[in-house]
Amino acid sequence: MRFAYYPGCVAKSTATELYDSTALVAQKLGIELVELTAASCCGAGVINEGEPYWNIVLNARTFAMAEDLGLDILTICSTCQGVLSQVKWQLDQDPKMMEKTNETLAKISMKYQGKVKIKHLQCVLTEDYGLGKLEEQVVKPLKRFKVAPFYGCYQLRPVEALQFESHEKPASLEQLISALGGEPVDYEGRTKCCGFPILFVQRDTAFEMAATYLNEAKKANADFMVTPCPLCHISLDIYQKKALNQMKLGINLPVMHLSQMVGYALGLAPQKLGFSRHMVSMAEVLRGS
Amino acid sequence: MTTQEASFRILRFNPEKDEKSHYETYRVKIDNRMTVLDALEDIKHTQDAALTFRRSCRSGICGSCAMKVNSLAKLACKTRALAEADSYGEVLVEPMENMTVIRDLVVDMGPFWREIDRGNPWLEWDKNLEGSIKENLITDQQQQVAAKLADCIMCGCCFSDCVSRVFDKNFTGPASLAKIHRFVADSRDKVGVKRLPALVGMGLWSCTHCYFCWSQCPRDVRPVVAISALRALSFKAGDRSHGARHVDAFMTSIERTGMLNEASLYLRTMGWTTVRDLDLILKMIAKGKAPSPFLKPVPKIEEIRSIMQADRKRKET
Repeated sequence: MRFAYYPGCVAKSTATELYDSTALVAQKLGIELVELTAASCCGAGVINEGEPYWNIVLNARTFAMAEDLGLDILTICSTCQGVLSQVKWQLDQDPKMMEKTNETLAKISMKYQGKVKIKHLQCVLTEDYGLGKLEEQVVKPLKRFKVAPFYGCYQLRPVEALQFESHEKPASLEQLISALGGEPVDYEGRTKCCGFPILFVQRDTAFEMAATYLNEAKKANADFMVTPCPLCHISLDIYQKKALNQMKLGINLPVMHLSQMVGYALGLAPQKLGFSRHMVSMAEVLRGS
Repeated sequence: MTTQEASFRILRFNPEKDEKSHYETYRVKIDNRMTVLDALEDIKHTQDAALTFRRSCRSGICGSCAMKVNSLAKLACKTRALAEADSYGEVLVEPMENMTVIRDLVVDMGPFWREIDRGNPWLEWDKNLEGSIKENLITDQQQQVAAKLADCIMCGCCFSDCVSRVFDKNFTGPASLAKIHRFVADSRDKVGVKRLPALVGMGLWSCTHCYFCWSQCPRDVRPVVAISALRALSFKAGDRSHGARHVDAFMTSIERTGMLNEASLYLRTMGWTTVRDLDLILKMIAKGKAPSPFLKPVPKIEEIRSIMQADRKRKET
């Protein structure tokens, strides 16, 4: 199994533990990752609000790179997954925009053909690798743990562009948690927004969102939360203390990246998975491991 | 035809006798042709005449029967009861969010309409054109925008499920902004882009891109797309609010390095308010988690810059 790897910007700066743990998990599972080192940032939906055409053409350039390699794209960031999927969806159904984009790309000798598929690690593990095969690889089942899946927005909506699973009743994270031996817990906020996109604009509102869903997960007796999105991780881990303080909630809840949770269950050493870089201590969760 | 008995758990509230709302469950025989509205009518006619809900056209046109079905706002007349029961094991029916319940499934739409009014959602006609015999045409592109946004039936589904509105009552909501975009994008509107500055105060940059307004809209209006378009117009018109500065910092970072420079993005967007996070920044440095402000450009950065610069030049000429 081989993919054109698009880790995204955050996994290479604030969340290097995500980048490192993904490399280890991929190696362990025999998934070969060919990193698109010359690809640009996906724009996170923000560049679309400055220069909408740049959002399209820069991401089409990334698609063309993967197509040159004859590989589908693997992402580890829900925001990248959402933005890339939306641009691809837009291009694939708008021949005029496709033509204009390829005219621009031709100037740098590139072409987007519409062949590439874009898949998040979450999708690759559940659909391509397979839950059964993953379950066979588990050496340290998460059976001690109740896990709160936090899907976030970008990998669920709009379903027309994502073409992965139902946004109303998603199940892939619960399936992954169960395959790794853990017990998923249910709470209302699992498909809501973590608040990150407005963290720099409406800070108090963003904190209220994060704190509300952390509190819901805690009330559902979660030992930790897991997210497939490093931007959600910033909101839920880095800013957790500030968010909970604002809401006067005296709780804390560790938050794992998806790749870290998988790596942990596959028996990879916790020190190598980068838990020490988290702002909310993972010590309680890792005790005895 | 598939027929089965399903549970409908409905949130009830009668202000004349209930202190707080409570759930009541009804068993209804449903088939694969029936909508949730059909089932509610069945309950009202055969089990509980007091059950209160709005409905009119039964065809997804009037927008009256918006309510939460299994926790998401939908038109009851467009939602298949059997699919909901199969998927969730029951059909949970509740009134919409972000509005006060009047009785059972009927909410006070006042807040929704007040937000719509806040944006002056009407065409401001150029008086100089009055009496003119000349047609005032708009472009095909403008027509496409207007047609999409005019599909809104004001049902309130997007307003109900808007995550930002739950926490921020100043955020005007998706339908209001979509309606405003319909006029900003119309060259016959003499106010046009002059509508933009007021939008910042109505929460233009408070939308989180959660995409619930896209997924829950029964008419596929996609308000979030309109919000992004309004933001792009506001940015171009010289908006310097935090949201617009964030966009500017983002584009600068990509042009310089191809990547997002998280440290510089944060500093450029937040300005002096960065001091609020000094404690956090120190802890991040201690944990080795603080991103470096010095980012090396990606290989072939000249390709990225040439794309951006050529497009900029094209627009200038």
